[in-house]
Amino acid sequence: MFPSRSARSHRLRRVPLAAILAAALAVPLLWAAPTVNLLETGSSLLYPLFNIWLPAYHRSHPNVRITTQSTGSGTGISESITGLAQIGASDAYMSPALERMHPGMLNIPLAISMQMVNYNLPGLNRRHLRLSGPVLADIYSGRIVQWNDAAIRRLNPGVQLPGHAIIPVHRTDGSGDTFIFTQYLSFSTPSWANSVAFGTTVSWPAVSGGLGAEGNPGMVTAVHDNPYSIAYIGTSYEDAIHRDGLGIAALKNRAGKFVLPTARTAKAAASKMVPKTPKNERISLIFAPGADSYPIINYEYAIVNRRQPSAQTAAALRDFFNWAISPTGGNAPRFINRVHFVPLPPPVVRLSRAQIAQIQ
Amino acid sequence: MAAASASTFVPPRQRRRLRRRLTDGLGWTVSTVAFLLLGAATISIFWAIAARGAHALHLAIFTQVTQGTAGGLLNAIEGTLLLAVGGLLLAIPPGMAAGIFLAEFGASRFAPVLRFMSDVLVGLPSIVVGYFVYIVAVVDLGWGFSALAGAIALAIISLPYITRTSEMAFRQVPADMRDAARALGATDGHVILRICLPIAASSVLTGVLLALAISVGETAPLLYTAGWSNYTWNGHLTHEPVGYLTYAIWAFITEPFQSAHALAYAAALLVSAFVLVISIASRMLMAASRRHSR
Amino acid sequence: MFKLVTFRRFTAVLGGVVAAVLVAVVVFFVIYAWPAIRLNGWHFFTSNTWNLGNLYANPIERNGRMILPGAHYGILFLIAGTLLSTLIAVVLAVPIGAMAAVFLAECVPSQLRTAVSFFVELLAAIPSVVFGLWGYVVVIPFLGHHVYPWMTAHLGFLPFLSGAPGSGYGLLTAGLVLALMIVPLITATVRDALVSQYRGLRDAALALGATRFETLWTVQLPATRRVLVGSGILATGRALGETMAVLMISGNALNYLPRNIYSPISTMASFIVSQLDSALQDPTGLAVRSLGEVALALLLIAVVVNGAARLLLYYQDRTTGTTS
Repeated sequence: MFPSRSARSHRLRRVPLAAILAAALAVPLLWAAPTVNLLETGSSLLYPLFNIWLPAYHRSHPNVRITTQSTGSGTGISESITGLAQIGASDAYMSPALERMHPGMLNIPLAISMQMVNYNLPGLNRRHLRLSGPVLADIYSGRIVQWNDAAIRRLNPGVQLPGHAIIPVHRTDGSGDTFIFTQYLSFSTPSWANSVAFGTTVSWPAVSGGLGAEGNPGMVTAVHDNPYSIAYIGTSYEDAIHRDGLGIAALKNRAGKFVLPTARTAKAAASKMVPKTPKNERISLIFAPGADSYPIINYEYAIVNRRQPSAQTAAALRDFFNWAISPTGGNAPRFINRVHFVPLPPPVVRLSRAQIAQIQ
Repeated sequence: MAAASASTFVPPRQRRRLRRRLTDGLGWTVSTVAFLLLGAATISIFWAIAARGAHALHLAIFTQVTQGTAGGLLNAIEGTLLLAVGGLLLAIPPGMAAGIFLAEFGASRFAPVLRFMSDVLVGLPSIVVGYFVYIVAVVDLGWGFSALAGAIALAIISLPYITRTSEMAFRQVPADMRDAARALGATDGHVILRICLPIAASSVLTGVLLALAISVGETAPLLYTAGWSNYTWNGHLTHEPVGYLTYAIWAFITEPFQSAHALAYAAALLVSAFVLVISIASRMLMAASRRHSR
Repeated sequence: MFKLVTFRRFTAVLGGVVAAVLVAVVVFFVIYAWPAIRLNGWHFFTSNTWNLGNLYANPIERNGRMILPGAHYGILFLIAGTLLSTLIAVVLAVPIGAMAAVFLAECVPSQLRTAVSFFVELLAAIPSVVFGLWGYVVVIPFLGHHVYPWMTAHLGFLPFLSGAPGSGYGLLTAGLVLALMIVPLITATVRDALVSQYRGLRDAALALGATRFETLWTVQLPATRRVLVGSGILATGRALGETMAVLMISGNALNYLPRNIYSPISTMASFIVSQLDSALQDPTGLAVRSLGEVALALLLIAVVVNGAARLLLYYQDRTTGTTS
């Protein structure tokens, strides 16, 4: 191509640099043990649980390296289907259309979680405001714009509500929290079901002053920074809500009772819905019957491909999931209680194990 | 001005002179204020990062990998260097070749087209580059999030900077040196690689440093190409995500945990310090090469 | 002679990669976004609803393509957010940048100039995400709690400055931070143009009795007009494509136009970052193709803006013989 002498000298000059680079790049190679790299991405609601699971799991399985990312359930579903992530974390099961297009995908519940409706009303955050699906639907549609609206006052007799505009906050990323929240609105409010409906991403009606936030952390920050705002936030962020002194609403359930998100009300709801869980475990637990049932609980799913690129990866995934759903492993109280989740009931553990066994 | 002229009687000529002096003073004041404003912003940014980052910086940042939203940044520091160096290795050959072509064979009909396209490439939003590599390499070619995909995205972003500085560098080489070498029978390739390159090298390096600084600070295109990893690199070019510092800034500052914020501030301090050092180094290099060419 | 041709060809082919990359990116997005372009039509640019449709319903057929019921893609709010934030940035950055350049060129002794200029040019080196972090932890609380409430109270009589001051996330914040990001480009270019200017012009004006500032204002600055416009357009291009900083401070508005200067917005570039990762959950693939159309639109705007600026600056170089 070019004159040999100059080419040689050109190459010679590069030798030390190339050698250093090669050495620098080779160092990690020498360290490398036969490890399995797994990427977990998706739900920001599951993210805190994964983050306390992994150090414990890593101690007993040092050659399995699991990276966690809080990107939203929509991303969890997307990236597990495309194979970019091995574990797609999602608060929502896959849609029927995606299910038909990708029949090889499994929806495996790892735990049961709840969702809070939180607000920042200076002076009123200690009181648990009572809210219902239809009222929340009207707030998020821009039909109820003031905190002292008659509809809110009617639910909260004796509470001095401020005459201030409501700032409804919604998620901007594809989100399982949006999915379960809009399911609650859809199941409790026919007009919402017929207009916006439910999904991981919905077309939020334009509300003056409404904000978008990324992930549950973004929701916490947004509510904290904006007095008179309201948002839906996963229960794994309950500690942050308490720390920031924000309000937690009591929500109206199917029986017409106002209930707070607690382990007791979540278990009450679960006891009504769990027996209905089908083999593929794709079911909504929202708006359960029963006087004590908290209306927004859901399975936290791992979306996983049945067919893995290597037997090694498949084995690592099976081991991890079996540990994660075990009452002595990942579903032990020392993990589950820290994020205010509810452990999987034994019948669901059995169903999940059957699905996990299909990962090859 | 109006007040000054109304209060006492001043002869018209003197009044005009006063007005001119006042305008003059006002003009210089405005320009000084404009500069001070920008200087204050620069200081505010570096102070905000340095003060918060210094609190967060401790030994574990350099020795531990990230564990969820806690731990250290060893994985990210390593990944940032890996991606930046990888991007440069990919970008330098074509970027320099384009620069040499433009400087040495500028009379070619292709030269203005190439220069124009290189200059337009500078203005390409980096997320568009990231999107392109994401769909083509990460999804369609099935590489997954990987060092190679990230390095390619950074290389595309660095290319035009290296092209432009290489062109400038080779143009600085005095024409008589080329002529003298040619008169002694040297071929074109010989002249460029053996005579011009050593002279232009320090200026070329300035461009490489600039590209390095840009690569270290990039975020958007890496989110969709390198992904993120909690662990140090295992040596795979594809199918293994890589961590990097800018991800830690973006992803962890919004988490409602102190440990996450500390990681974000530490990462921001490291990135800013690195960029600052590179900028100063490239300045000094540029000044030195200017003195040299004079 | 043979070797000369081959070396030249070697650099041309290898260097041609630079041009090939640009062509490849443009061609890729035209092909990739084509299904979305055909389906969305002109409504894409004129309507204000970005709606993936009902993700949990069954896809229906429209114009021979499967789409989700209710799916509709319109990006007017993104175009508005992008153009308005850029407009604010440029309107602030051009005069401030030019005046700072005047200070550096005229008030700072030449030995110190490089060092002092570094202060401003350092702004160009700061990564976008660090600007975002600074905006998020310093600028937004300050503007949102102190400046914007004051502005609505005292400047509310001006159009676009009245109404709810919001939380600090929004159009003006994005515009201000973008202005800081693009200002060094303008300052550096204008300063170099002033310094390398033909001194005779200046001396002639001074000899005629003009003050230094008058000389600057009436003779020196007008002579840099083309450079100022060129760098202004380049800066516009950079502001249009800025991603991370805007994503972190703009409030990520969806499906509505800003009502005042404090309103949350989204820009095309930041919208791509926040939506691309989950777009593949649309089983019809239309979401990700429509995002491709956003990228294509952004790409074409960037090519046109940068192309125009470069042509202007080349012309300047040719007419004055200076290199910028």
